[in-house]
Amino acid sequence: MSSQSKDKQGPPPSLYLPLEEKLYRVRYEIDSDHAHIRVDPEVCGQCREKVCTFICPARVYTQDPEDSNLVQVHYENCLECGTCRVACTRGGVIWSYPNGGQGVKYRFG
Amino acid sequence: MEDGRVKTDVIVVGGGPAGLMAAHRLAQEGLEVILMERGAYAGSKNVSGLLYATVLSEAIPDFEQRAPLERPVTRRSFGFLDDEVFSYLTFGSRDWASPPFNRTWVVYRAHFDRWLAKEVEEAGATVLEETVVDDLLYDGEGENRRVIGVRIRGEEEPFFADTVILAEGALGIVTRKALETLGGMSQTPQVYGIGVKEIWGLPSGVIEDRFHLESGQGAALEWIGSPFKGLVGGGFLYTGKESLALGFIAKVDSLIAAGIAPYDLMESIKAHPEIGRYLAGGELLEYSAHILPEGGLRALPKLSHHGLLIVGDAAGFVNASFYHEGANLAMASGRMAAEAVIQAKLIGDFSRGALSLYERMLSNSFVMEDLRHFRRVPEAQKVFPRLMDVLPARFCRLLVDLYQQSTEPKRVQQREAFRKMMEGIPKLRTIKDLWKLKGMIG
Ligand SMILES: Cc1cc2nc3c(=O)[nH]c(=O)nc-3n(C[C@H](O)[C@H](O)[C@H](O)COP(=O)(O)OP(=O)(O)OC[C@H]3O[C@@H](n4cnc5c(N)ncnc54)[C@H](O)[C@@H]3O)c2cc1C
Ligand code: SF4
Ligand code: SF4
Repeated sequence: MSSQSKDKQGPPPSLYLPLEEKLYRVRYEIDSDHAHIRVDPEVCGQCREKVCTFICPARVYTQDPEDSNLVQVHYENCLECGTCRVACTRGGVIWSYPNGGQGVKYRFG
Repeated sequence: MEDGRVKTDVIVVGGGPAGLMAAHRLAQEGLEVILMERGAYAGSKNVSGLLYATVLSEAIPDFEQRAPLERPVTRRSFGFLDDEVFSYLTFGSRDWASPPFNRTWVVYRAHFDRWLAKEVEEAGATVLEETVVDDLLYDGEGENRRVIGVRIRGEEEPFFADTVILAEGALGIVTRKALETLGGMSQTPQVYGIGVKEIWGLPSGVIEDRFHLESGQGAALEWIGSPFKGLVGGGFLYTGKESLALGFIAKVDSLIAAGIAPYDLMESIKAHPEIGRYLAGGELLEYSAHILPEGGLRALPKLSHHGLLIVGDAAGFVNASFYHEGANLAMASGRMAAEAVIQAKLIGDFSRGALSLYERMLSNSFVMEDLRHFRRVPEAQKVFPRLMDVLPARFCRLLVDLYQQSTEPKRVQQREAFRKMMEGIPKLRTIKDLWKLKGMIG
């Protein structure tokens, strides 16, 4: 590459970022009065795969430390991407749009 | 306002490219339009990559002077990546480097959609931000049921309109409810890809150096191969003015089957030296994600109903072939929906019959032409993992082996290189797979 003289080559050391670091760069309006995501404990209790816990790009769903059959929802990190809605085919995810102007507020998108 | 009710010609639900283009056209023709957007501003919820702007240029011929555009794409590359070896096909044209720049732009939707919403307001439409439409309002029963307005969260009174245009994008919660109420959901269920993206800040000079660009020009790189772990998907890297947009699009089902979390995939992509090198020294500015419908032609719902039209991603207008286009199809569908409403208004008939002019226009346009042409993409996607696991790697390896310096005669070296390329590949199945993969390219 012609840019060899200017750029340092080789795998850059500082690209790795844990999810917390990624989410830290996202701007949100957090609506503490309205959780726009809920899960149905009846449905989740029967669900073994728990795809929501790894398919969500913001790790909004995590295993409940009190009861490993259930999941907790950290709705305030939601990117409103829609993935959980199509990934959970059991109907465990109850997802509505956040209130007007609330939720994720991309600066680039 | 009639007897205290808010009543307008058209309500557009959603301020993405589809809704904004529809509202723009309608307002230009003097119709009374209210566009409702749930975000703090249009674009605040939206994610994409390149903008193919031919449709936009019909609506706003001088957009290049006014819109917040990052860089035009003056060179493109397709890369095959394996852990050890890589190869690129890079192409461009002198034409692409001068106006109108092949109408291909890197844009950030939070900037672009917001600007477009201002244009729409200037054309005479009302844009209501922070406004969530929760449901449609109906009148009549059965076959005669028609849409007469929308319900807005937190508002007692509904808003009425002769026609509602649903431009909700891929999440389409209201659209789904409407199709359940009115009928017309496709027999073939929609399938989705997830796009995940990171924006990295870098000085403009570094970007131009790294991508071999003249000042102000831009590059688009797309990859398939081992970093994408046999998923149905690939990666992209687009140059902004002082930032890079790196990301991937993969079928949600394929991620689930492989048990891979999107953020982990993002990290392993960056760890590939051929990808990571471009970001070196940069700083993460934003992380984003969005689904997109990839079911194509067969997953389209019924698009026109009494008092209702469905446009853009809400309808499923994404060309999921290797072209991966959606925003321009969204814009085109928005403009055609507007055209149908304008005609309906002239005759004062907003029934499905009158509004179905929209479907006839679509059918004669590149939107449906392309969806028909690429109707076999879903089948092609099925063989994708099997082929992508081996083909890019073998192809790169072939090139590298052909150029490997040794004292072997070239005849032996070439024979050995081709033998290694074919080794262990089941010929018949691969030929069949390749035939299906053809669906990706038309
Ligand atoms: C990572 C990624 C890369 C992509 N790359 C490309 C590319 O390179 N080229 C290309 O052409 N396409 C690309 N696409 C596809 C493109 O982004 C979409 O096709 C396009 O955005 C669809 O436009 P739309 O107007 O239909 O929907 P959207 O852009 O999703 O807009 C919908 C709008 O409606 C609002 N809304 C939704 N529901 C409501 C409601 N009930 N009430 C009020 N407001 C509501 C939303 O907030 C949003 O602003 C990409 C997509 C992704 C995810
Ligand atoms: S939300 Fe869906 S995927 Fe997650 S645990 Fe509940 S049922 Fe399972
Ligand atoms: S919409 Fe996306 S970010 Fe939000 S919870 Fe679902 S998968 Fe996670």
